Amino acid sequence: MEQLRRERLDRSLKVRTEGIYAISAFEEILYLLGPRLLFIVGILILPFILEAAPYWKRVINIMCAYAIIAISFDFLSNFVGLVCLGGALFTGIGGYFTAIYNHYFSFPMYLSIPLAAVSGALFCTVVLLPALPLRGVYFAIVTLMYPLLFSRIIEALNILGGTNGISGIQSFPNPYIEHYTVILILLFFLFGLRRFVNEDIGLVFRGVKDNDQAVKASGINVTTIKIYAVFIASLMGCFSGAYIAHLYMWAGLSLFALDFSIIPIASTVIGGGGTLIGAVIGSFILVPLSEILREAGTLRIVIYCVVLTLFIVFKSEGLMIYLQRKYHQFERWVKV
Amino acid sequence: MEVKESNRRVLEAKELMVFYENMLALNNVTLHCEEESILGVFGSNSAGKSTLMYTLSGIILDIKYKEEMKGGERISVFGKITFEGKDITSLKPHERARLGIILCPERRRIFPESSVLENLFIGSYLARKEREENLEYVLNLFPRLKDHLKRQGGFLSGGEQQMLAIGRALMANPKMLLLDEPLLGLSPAYQEIVITGIKQIRDTRKITIIVTEQYARPVLPIIDYGYILENGSSVLSGTKEELLDNPDVKSAYFGV
Repeated sequence: MEQLRRERLDRSLKVRTEGIYAISAFEEILYLLGPRLLFIVGILILPFILEAAPYWKRVINIMCAYAIIAISFDFLSNFVGLVCLGGALFTGIGGYFTAIYNHYFSFPMYLSIPLAAVSGALFCTVVLLPALPLRGVYFAIVTLMYPLLFSRIIEALNILGGTNGISGIQSFPNPYIEHYTVILILLFFLFGLRRFVNEDIGLVFRGVKDNDQAVKASGINVTTIKIYAVFIASLMGCFSGAYIAHLYMWAGLSLFALDFSIIPIASTVIGGGGTLIGAVIGSFILVPLSEILREAGTLRIVIYCVVLTLFIVFKSEGLMIYLQRKYHQFERWVKV
Repeated sequence: MEVKESNRRVLEAKELMVFYENMLALNNVTLHCEEESILGVFGSNSAGKSTLMYTLSGIILDIKYKEEMKGGERISVFGKITFEGKDITSLKPHERARLGIILCPERRRIFPESSVLENLFIGSYLARKEREENLEYVLNLFPRLKDHLKRQGGFLSGGEQQMLAIGRALMANPKMLLLDEPLLGLSPAYQEIVITGIKQIRDTRKITIIVTEQYARPVLPIIDYGYILENGSSVLSGTKEELLDNPDVKSAYFGV
């Protein structure tokens, strides 16, 4: 009986592009840069393409803001091993900080957003500090709890506008600045983080995920490493929150909404964890999808859940991992 | 080797081939195992011992499925495995365990947060009726476990954990026991206890046992038949005398 086996091999082009030969010919350069350029150029001209549909132009902003939170989730869970269920903590803190700076101290927008991102990240890191030396579900629980905690504090003490929120935050002077601020920051975080996780400290991050005892045995303080990681992730999350606050000209309790925690996680699942770009692609699918489903009313959640479940059952590896494999490898049947 | 007529072949594996992506982990391994015998499988690291055990116990199908869902390596398994005359090639690990093939995995894999007694009870889930007799049998076999019945599995020493792992496998009333490197990381004294334990299990319970090991010397006295794996293929097989007569084998696996 003849048996056949499906064999997977790297494309010869891929092997050629691994070393210095990558710059030997136009074809190799294109093979490497093609997908990246396609993504970068695609996202940069998106606002012009959607000129015809003004409603969808605003979706771009939300989409990119969610993508940044999704990258931070992907980074924390797949590179540092901290499962963060609280994207809403970051957006909420970032949004309220920028509102405070802008509304109470009258800082201009280009100052209040970066300030809110950095100080919000410091704040988040400090409040998450108690959960960092532990391993397991503690971090997840604490991050899930904090958004509820802060929104209830604001509601109960009636501070920072209470349930009405802080309105009258400065808006972006024109829609193109609105789009390109978030698009450029997204590209910066995406490619910066991709490079960062392959630097020495990035290797340590991944070591913490796999076996933190071995990392300790190598003379590295795991808690310090986790603090850096949480700071980076919350920096991205707080930026998103601050941006959204300026976009809506309002900071309210809905910045602590569960959506900011759930959609990034779902995006990472759909896009493929551990690829960073996968999280972006995932939110580029999910956010427009939920916009389209807005007309379906309550059924929106149902359709959303069905899509997610189907993805987990049939393509749990995630879109990006699948696409990468198809791009780099080919398959053929061989005799055993 | 001449097969005695009275001994029936319990397990037969024909032309097993396992690929991890394009790497060949098992190459055309054919082996058989007679009733109530102890079979030794020897080989160095990367010889394919663990893969063989995974394939016989069916765990490989589970690993294959998980890798597939994760988008990782593609594992392909070929060949045919029969157990007591029944084709079990496509059976899942739990179905094989119900037939009586119990694996005691490498590095023990006990449940670290359950106590010793709980560990043993988890193992006995398939044979709840005989739980008490089996428990008594295991505790007589490894009296050391008796002192630690209430302790968490994770806090036992390596040797005790190994005894516990073998005990847990025995609690399921196996017809066939697969022991993957049971002597890994044990002191000579503990090796002695485990080896005599294994022999005792075969003699009293009439269980067929397959043992894999890198260093053959401690296991050799108790085996009836042995295979030597090298880079995934079975290069030599024979009774222990035949294996010992081969000068290459002697220096490589017996340290003589």
